[in-house]
Amino acid sequence: MTLTIHGAPYSTCTRLVALVCKEKQIPFNLSVVDLSKGQHKAPGFVAVQPFGQIPYIDDDGFVLYESRAIARYLIRKYPNQGTQGLIPTDPKEEALFEQAASIEAFNFNPFASGIAFEKVFKPRRGLQTNEQAVEERLALLRAKLDAYDVILGKQKYLAGDQVTLADLQHLPYGTLLANAGYGDLFSEATRPNVSRCVCCMRRRPTWQDVLQNLK
Amino acid sequence: MPLTIYGSPFSTCTRLVVLICKEKQIPFNFVLVDITKGEQKAPEYVDKQPFNKVPYIDDDGFALYESRAIARYLIKKYADQGTPDLIPSDPQSEALFEQGASIESFNFNPPASGIALEKIVKPLLALRTDEKTLEKRSVELNEKLDIYDVILGKQKYLAGNKLTLADLQHLPHGTLLFTNGFEDLFTSRPNVARWWNELINRPAWQEVTTYFNPVA
Repeated sequence: MTLTIHGAPYSTCTRLVALVCKEKQIPFNLSVVDLSKGQHKAPGFVAVQPFGQIPYIDDDGFVLYESRAIARYLIRKYPNQGTQGLIPTDPKEEALFEQAASIEAFNFNPFASGIAFEKVFKPRRGLQTNEQAVEERLALLRAKLDAYDVILGKQKYLAGDQVTLADLQHLPYGTLLANAGYGDLFSEATRPNVSRCVCCMRRRPTWQDVLQNLK
Repeated sequence: MPLTIYGSPFSTCTRLVVLICKEKQIPFNFVLVDITKGEQKAPEYVDKQPFNKVPYIDDDGFALYESRAIARYLIKKYADQGTPDLIPSDPQSEALFEQGASIESFNFNPPASGIALEKIVKPLLALRTDEKTLEKRSVELNEKLDIYDVILGKQKYLAGNKLTLADLQHLPHGTLLFTNGFEDLFTSRPNVARWWNELINRPAWQEVTTYFNPVA
């Protein structure tokens, strides 16, 4: 039975799971959950995903939620197909991958998602942006990206010289911010090494496929 | 050469790493990074940890930072000693562990650390608590723990019926809140209370507390 992703095409977390499916050449169906109709808060949904969040997957009866957990499960389930090395198996390389994945979770995601929430998702729902919150998060994100620029001046990707899931994890919110007018965060003038890496990542055919075709 | 942890007793993330060393019976040296004096911002420190955070480890020349990455590395390196199966190896059990670990990182940690910052850390630094943020984070954490109570009503631990690293990840910030006037978060929900009571009384966690607060 084909993998089913229960999510939404515009959801950053759903996009990460779809991206990993593209990278690992895993066929999937997207079952759209309409957040505007509150489908994620319906009793049937919450029975499966108790936090009322998207996405979750149903892999032939095995249910899993939390996009980064789903990504890891799929990468480990299909080691011999698609993009190799997304989670290294050598102990030290794996540890450096975990370090990079944690960098994304705690040094990038909180600020990037906070800005996106205020500047992209709130307006879509007719809610007012808290500009001070945006400014605070931008200041913090800039400091973090300065550290990224140091790291990426010494190695090609966040975990070393090979692309890993840790790099992919940045694409959904990174792209959202760039499209919302914050491209200067990743510009060659301000952070040349971040810029190089971001450009390279955004051009991945698998990511372009998700952006253009996920429905 | 024994493992060296560079960290601070005030740091929740440092305590997670020390906890894993206790759980997995890994000897270590501790080098104090005095964050009250800003030692984590010194150039030689930032060279090792570019985000100027504590902790990082040096394992016989192998440097690693981000406490959850360090925890995973040590658990896998010393799989055959101390508390077993903190990261399961069966694919579906491992996936449910990853789900539990992500729940902690994205559903528990943000509001828990947010409350700790406003109510505990800021007063210590003579900074003003942002009451609006505190209220928002409190509402959020209460909502999340209501959901934890549902999950923990069906299974013993966050990832299933065995203890994993995902449960242990809650101890540092959880204890900070529990011992600073927020015990109600944990005691008012029956399944959370059962789970929390077991976690906080783990001998390894007691050892961490003693390690940083030695009784004369």
